[in-house]
Amino acid sequence: MMRLLEMSGIKRHYDMPSGVVKALDGIDLKINEGERILLLGPSGSGKTTLLNCLAALDNPTEGEYEFNKEIVPRGHAEKMTTFRRENIGYVFQFFNLLQDLTVLENIILIQELSGGRDETRARELLTLVGLEAEVNRFPAEISGGQQQRVAIARSLAKSPNLLLGDELTGNLDSATSAKVMEVLVSACESEGITTVMVTHDENLTKYATRVVRLDSGNIISDEKV
Amino acid sequence: MLLTKRLARSLWRTKLRLSAVILMVAIGIFAGIAFGAYANSVTTLYDDIYADDDTGVNLPDVFVENNLGNWNASTAETMCNEIREQWPSDELVLDKCEPRLISNGQLFSEDSDIGMVTAVWHGIDEGEVDKVWIPKHGCCSGEMAKEANEIVIDQHAAEALGIKVGDLVHISAGAGYSLDYSVVGIGFHSKHLFFTVEGELLPAQPGTLVTGYMTDEGLEALANLSAGDANLLLIDVEGTPNSQDPDVSGLTDLIEGISVIVTQTDDSPAGVYDRTGVHSVEFLRADVEGAEKSYPVISGMLAVVAGITIFLSLQRLIQSQAKEIAVLRTLGVKRMSIMPGYILAPVFIGAIGCVIGAIPGVLFGAPAMINMYEDIIGIPIINPNLPSSLVIEIIITAMVIVFLSGLRPAWQASRMQPLEVLLGQNEVRMSSRRLQKLTSKLPATFGLTIRSSVRKPIRLMLTFFAVGLSMLIFGSMMIMMDSFGEIFTGGLEERQSWDAQVFTMDNEEPIIEWAEEHGAQHELMIIFQGTPENDTRQLTAYGLENVATDTGESMYLVLLSNGDLPSPNQAVPEVLIDEGLNHFLGWEIGETHSLVFGTKTVEVKITGYTQGDFARTVYFHRADLSDILGIDATVVMLDLPEGVEPDEQLAQNSLGIATREDSLEAFETIMEQQEGIFIAIEGLGILIAIAVLFNTLVMNLAERDTELATLRVLGASNNRLGLMLFGEHLAIGLIGGILGCLFSILGTKLMLATFVSWSAYFTVTASNSSIFILIGIVVFISISLTPFGMWRIKKMDLVAKVKDLSQ
Repeated sequence: MMRLLEMSGIKRHYDMPSGVVKALDGIDLKINEGERILLLGPSGSGKTTLLNCLAALDNPTEGEYEFNKEIVPRGHAEKMTTFRRENIGYVFQFFNLLQDLTVLENIILIQELSGGRDETRARELLTLVGLEAEVNRFPAEISGGQQQRVAIARSLAKSPNLLLGDELTGNLDSATSAKVMEVLVSACESEGITTVMVTHDENLTKYATRVVRLDSGNIISDEKV
Repeated sequence: MLLTKRLARSLWRTKLRLSAVILMVAIGIFAGIAFGAYANSVTTLYDDIYADDDTGVNLPDVFVENNLGNWNASTAETMCNEIREQWPSDELVLDKCEPRLISNGQLFSEDSDIGMVTAVWHGIDEGEVDKVWIPKHGCCSGEMAKEANEIVIDQHAAEALGIKVGDLVHISAGAGYSLDYSVVGIGFHSKHLFFTVEGELLPAQPGTLVTGYMTDEGLEALANLSAGDANLLLIDVEGTPNSQDPDVSGLTDLIEGISVIVTQTDDSPAGVYDRTGVHSVEFLRADVEGAEKSYPVISGMLAVVAGITIFLSLQRLIQSQAKEIAVLRTLGVKRMSIMPGYILAPVFIGAIGCVIGAIPGVLFGAPAMINMYEDIIGIPIINPNLPSSLVIEIIITAMVIVFLSGLRPAWQASRMQPLEVLLGQNEVRMSSRRLQKLTSKLPATFGLTIRSSVRKPIRLMLTFFAVGLSMLIFGSMMIMMDSFGEIFTGGLEERQSWDAQVFTMDNEEPIIEWAEEHGAQHELMIIFQGTPENDTRQLTAYGLENVATDTGESMYLVLLSNGDLPSPNQAVPEVLIDEGLNHFLGWEIGETHSLVFGTKTVEVKITGYTQGDFARTVYFHRADLSDILGIDATVVMLDLPEGVEPDEQLAQNSLGIATREDSLEAFETIMEQQEGIFIAIEGLGILIAIAVLFNTLVMNLAERDTELATLRVLGASNNRLGLMLFGEHLAIGLIGGILGCLFSILGTKLMLATFVSWSAYFTVTASNSSIFILIGIVVFISISLTPFGMWRIKKMDLVAKVKDLSQ
């Protein structure tokens, strides 16, 4: 498998009044195309910070980060945005769909913002996540699980190289969580998209190809499933 | 207490918005005090001047004016006696009836820069009614004229021409010669407090008008008249019947009764009218009434705008504090404990605004308004009057409005359902399906822009209402300035081509001879006072050589707004009436109505309406009016060749000369005098509109943080988001601009409609450029906030936002 990204010696330290907080303290991580990685760990272990660094939302204090063999921009908001636009899909815990747009329009908006509207593809993605019947509904008119599936479709809309999910089932019951994860796995497999998901839920390991555990800003285990 | 402290700290975090709201309240209080002090002081001043006692001038209540010449001594005395004997009122009691002689004329100055000055001379017989006002004030000095060669000069003219007590003035009154008079006093007269040529709307340019008050013998000598000749009877009743409500006060019946007596006694065309028929008195009364009506409106309007801003800000604050309130409620804090803070906050904001506005309002605003009045009208306000009750009344009004603005948010805060808030259900909202359908064919970016713009319709509508009120402040000034030229000069620049109007009383031959000698074109005109039948209110009849609308057809064109031009020599004379007559009497085109000119009643047929006449006006063909009145002209309009100017010969044979140049200069002067305040008021309107729009758009932006952060995380560039914001602000600006413009135009028309009266009717029209400016300003303010929005997005801490999004 081709290497998608490589992190080496990534640190993210925060200067706080109480002293320096080491959210990440020397992370080495290599991810290949097609992998589905689950980041597990207790609160404050650095999972979300690592996800933010992977998404180029946050600037590591130290370390190297290459994506498709190119150095990921750092400290330049617009370049980081361009990187995200071209490579990253992101699914939030609370879906964050735009309430004024219909399900279909939520996906088309992301296409437009990325420079190419393609309604056929948007509809295909909604079919892929099993929501072809809900295209003209507003987010407030569908269930939480359905909203999260729309969010997944939205994040796939621009065919990202890497899909990141932050506690994306954290707000759903277990049955709905399972449905969402199945949809995610199926969609990412069919689209050939690599995924990294942060979660507290050990039950989700069955959907991963690899589980990385963190504690105190360090990787404490990295196992293939 | 701690809850209130917490709210105060939250409010303090929005210092900029807080300052804007405080400023709005302060400006409202400032403006209210300034205008209120003006209205109060001027009302007191007029009451003092007109008072029926030793200190006042004893302003008459009814006037009988001979519109065509003079009564001899015997006729004038007989008329007063008949009025006394046949006194036609049971409710009103006659105090005095005094004949008076008034004549137009000229003053000849030795100063060649001044030259001839149009004049009005009063010959005062007994001097018990309508006395000259010589207050104990630096403005005035001397005493009334006692000898035939003595004169009191009006203070306005004395100041402009540098005339002092002891000077000699060289004057004429249309008798073909001039005489010298000794100045024994400087004072004011009720008929000339508003110092202008009769019927004009602008104060005369300094040095272009002089009025003087002499003995009746003095004026008889100057005008070559017989002893006791008079052209005005001053009738004073005990007390002061209300001339604004003549039916109730009994004035209508009294005037009708006196008219009958006058008609039976003499067949001269006499007009009988009350104080509303005296131009200066009525104009100044209307001015005060305008100020009295406008100051509560201005203060109230600003307080409402401040109230809306407070209301919206508090609602937003409650929204942003929803979770905290929910937690407090979950922990058992009572509803009634949540409320006080949100009620106290606007009261506190209002109180600060009141203090900030009231102090400079009392110390600077009120004196500045009074000074401006003194500069423009030229009457000293001897006892400026700002009662504390007025200040308290204004403050209470503002405080009540801001207090009310906090009630609903306070109620909403106390009624918040903790569970709903903690589950985030209070933020779930359904977008409009209709709007979605309307915008479904547009790109999603445009659809989102439009739907976001109208996401909070109540907030948006309140904002548009507040912006509309702010734009009303700005727009009313601009629209009025658009129409001022027409209102004040009667279309002098556009529709009148005369250089000088020479006044006469059916003795136009010497003037025509002068014109022919000097190569000037001339055109006769009749201006005559009349009334509608069974109505005591005065109107002015114009007899024009040719009633026309096209350049070159007459020196005095009419502005026809509806109907057709009248044809001359019809069995029933055809006339145009001004829109004011249509408004007040309901007279319509095609109808026939009766007009009364002294003893004559004539039927006229209305063929159209004219626009731009401040006073009530009827336009006849001169030939028709001449047949009715039996006179050829009261005015000769002259179109002077280059280098020719009115001279002493013309002046001695006339009853006054008005020049086009003076009228235009008067307009320019008043505009210059008022320019500062116009600009200040316009600027104020724009500043408030900026504050209101800024407040709403910043709230909109703050509410969209989550949405914008999501889009940023998903890779939307700043420029694309900036474009979306620009679109949203453009849409809000356009809707707000159009509504604000409509509000301004309709509001101005409505506001002015409440100020119009029989003697002062005007309409305003917004020009295309004004409409463009009104819309453009709101659009500009709105889109100017896009960079601020972009700056906010750029500054957004995405890591923190993502953390929020995941919690």
